[in-house]
Amino acid sequence: MSPMRKLRRFTLWTALKWALAIAIALVAVFPIWWMINVVFAQAGEPVSLNPRLWPTSLGAGLDKITTIFAETGYLRAYGISILYALLTIAGVLLVGSLAAFEFSLFEFPGRKILFGVVLLALMVPTAVTIIPTYVLVSRLGWLNTMEGLVVPGLASAFGLFMLVQFMRAIPRDMIEAARLDGAGHFQIYWHVVLPLCRNALVTLAILTFIQTWGNYMWPLIVGTKEELYTVGQVVGLFNSPLSHHTVDTVMTANLLAAVPPLIFFLIFQRQIVQGIAMSGSKG
Amino acid sequence: MPFRRYLPHYLMIAPFMVLFAVFFLYPILSGLYYSFHDWNGVRVPEFVGAANYTKILASRDFSRAMGNLFAYIAITVPLGILVALGLALLVDSFTGRWSNFFRNAYFMPVVLPAFLAATIWRWIYAPNFGLLNIVLGWFGIPSVNFLNDTGTMLYALIAVDIWVSAGFNMVIILAGLKNIPTELYEAARLDGASKRQQLFHITIPMLWPVLFFVLTYGLISAMQVFDKPWLLTGSSFTSYGGRRNALLFPVMDMMGRAFGGVKFGEAAAYGFLLTIAIVVVTGVMFGLRAWSERR
Repeated sequence: MSPMRKLRRFTLWTALKWALAIAIALVAVFPIWWMINVVFAQAGEPVSLNPRLWPTSLGAGLDKITTIFAETGYLRAYGISILYALLTIAGVLLVGSLAAFEFSLFEFPGRKILFGVVLLALMVPTAVTIIPTYVLVSRLGWLNTMEGLVVPGLASAFGLFMLVQFMRAIPRDMIEAARLDGAGHFQIYWHVVLPLCRNALVTLAILTFIQTWGNYMWPLIVGTKEELYTVGQVVGLFNSPLSHHTVDTVMTANLLAAVPPLIFFLIFQRQIVQGIAMSGSKG
Repeated sequence: MPFRRYLPHYLMIAPFMVLFAVFFLYPILSGLYYSFHDWNGVRVPEFVGAANYTKILASRDFSRAMGNLFAYIAITVPLGILVALGLALLVDSFTGRWSNFFRNAYFMPVVLPAFLAATIWRWIYAPNFGLLNIVLGWFGIPSVNFLNDTGTMLYALIAVDIWVSAGFNMVIILAGLKNIPTELYEAARLDGASKRQQLFHITIPMLWPVLFFVLTYGLISAMQVFDKPWLLTGSSFTSYGGRRNALLFPVMDMMGRAFGGVKFGEAAAYGFLLTIAIVVVTGVMFGLRAWSERR
């Protein structure tokens, strides 16, 4: 084979590869891009005329956003979703790291059994717990309350598992050194171990955010009153066949629901991708 | 005194363990109790033996949901893994900045909430003015009502599913690819192995454990599919499953019985039936893995 032919075959193959990679990237990203274009266009322009390929009016888009916040319950739903996510993150990190600290670094009677039971929970599907958990929450009088949304999700077996994996790598000498310096049990957790796990905590926080923001089933049954609707429920209602909202309102609601996770992703892409890869390779 | 010595440890795990017991272990046990009772959430539960279970197994919705589930899983799980593997190999063949760029682009749908993926795609699938029908129109193909035509509904769901999950699985497979020692490829090249031989004799065998995980995880989550078909069909607790129940799935059926039909006993029994199915599938997968490793 002459060097010339080798080069040509090589470039043809590379060109095909690039074309394929770009085409798939378009399929993956286009629906999100299209949503932005529909929102940032003059109101009332029929979507049907041409698939929107680029945004045409910044002002119209901003108008739609201020309108939806002013005239529908969307702003409140946004607040509820953010509060739901923040409280869940705080609770999962605190409760999970306290327990992971013990399970990964210390010996005490019952440690293996308790940790084993929690690991079993990773295999139990949500389908079996969701109805009885709903019944329990309603017995506690927590329907349509923030604690009803948040508290049942705090004991995250996945979070505990992830933190334990991470904390196992902490050298015991550091713990012993801190103890000799006179640090108490809780102080070791707070001042020595937690700072060492910053990366794992950040990753868990981001994954918890994405998961809570996207949780549709639990808020749907716990928050049946408008005062506790999350973004997911409002988006679902706006898009339902009986919705009386215009295309513009619905698309704006959709876009705004996508913004927080997308921003998180753009900032924390490395942690998100590594967190998911880690949970996969160790599972 | 030993207990005093261990007390700090128990205090630290107490918050997690208490929440875990109350909101995970207790619901499972109480669910088991409800599953043998006729209960509408208000009256005193009435013991009915296994009647809830037999009633579900005999019901037409259950067989419809299971039939849909099998068809759905048979396509979406293998196809999803093939797409994810293809994407991972594609991304891996680039280097540096471009590799990251394509990885992030393919991953972007994963971070979107599933409810949003379903609602965006409903617009794309809409008859007449939906994006997909406009594109089909350019080729002279008449408008298809993707979400209301029993012949296309399942495929419409699967497309959304793969759009969402491919990036997730790709990232896990990419991590697996990075763990394959490069010496293996160098040795194969020295022996004159082609790219294709390297793929089938090195890459895929070395990826087996990762592919097994992706497959098992994919099966377990596919068996519990809820948000996407629920929203694609515009379901509510009074009417769900889409036209002729073409997108009725077990978890939807369970939720409908609980919150539409107010039959909590039946819904709890449904959850256990589904769990048994999932445990069996997981067990088979682990068995297969152990068997394939022993060979």
